[in-house]
Amino acid sequence: MNWLAEKTIRTYLISWLALLTLLAVTLASAYLPLGVFNAAINLTVSVTQAAIVLLFSMHLRSAHPTLRIVAASGFVGIAILIALSLSDVLTR
Amino acid sequence: MMGRRMASAVSFLAPQFDDIEQQKGASKLGIWIFLATEILFFGVLFAAYTLTRVQHPAAFAAGSRLTNVTLASINTAVLLTSSLTMALGVHAAQCGARRALVGWLSLTVGLGIAFLAVKGIEYRIDYVEHLVPKINFQYPGEQGGAVELFFYLYFVVTGVHALHVLIGVTVICVMAVMASKGVFRSDYFTPVDVTALYWHLVDIIWLFVYPVLYLVSRS
Repeated sequence: MNWLAEKTIRTYLISWLALLTLLAVTLASAYLPLGVFNAAINLTVSVTQAAIVLLFSMHLRSAHPTLRIVAASGFVGIAILIALSLSDVLTR
Repeated sequence: MMGRRMASAVSFLAPQFDDIEQQKGASKLGIWIFLATEILFFGVLFAAYTLTRVQHPAAFAAGSRLTNVTLASINTAVLLTSSLTMALGVHAAQCGARRALVGWLSLTVGLGIAFLAVKGIEYRIDYVEHLVPKINFQYPGEQGGAVELFFYLYFVVTGVHALHVLIGVTVICVMAVMASKGVFRSDYFTPVDVTALYWHLVDIIWLFVYPVLYLVSRS
């Protein structure tokens, strides 16, 4: 039990450090002239950070599949909304 | 001792559930369905942002450069840290450590209030710099209308997010009071667990708000 507790705390601390490191990466990358890659890096970092929070802090890594499906449904819905809306605006 | 503990765990059981595990599963499913609707709620704002930005890329770059990236970056670190203290709070609840739980929850509340305070300072700076649409918006260059559109989105998205932080802070305060009264035990802490999930989601939403509003075209 003690070993498990230590492991859990270590997981939280490592994800926190990873999240702060990614924050530094996304902020620093914004000051480099990379064209479209600026937005690409920002978005990739955000998705990675969100994945870390979802999997470790929100325990989706060990959650029941039903919970994972429900959690994914919101993101999938938004992806469809944005993709279909863009397909209109970008092809006018 | 064992008998008393079992009896107290059973007393948390609502009549519609067979056992504590089933009740906990229902609470978790409930909060995740709510969180999915929250993702859709903010997602619509992100969709509006994406479509407007695609149509006015230069104005969004100009608008983003007028936001306060230093305060926003500090706030991102504050919110990420509050997520850590919240997770450690849940862990303390799991271990039945009452004082540690109250401590972590209080720290999370403190960080949440710090986030809101910084946000308030930021809004004040925006006001002084004439960036508030409909109230005092002024933009000297061309495309002023499109830059104003960016600031409409900026205030709606950050405002609604701040409201979520405020709700989170309030609920965590309630959890801290309940914890200090000894309501939670290592075999029953679902309200803390569910509150933490909400708090982490508010954190995730900010992780997307931050780059799309503050980091566009800084170079």
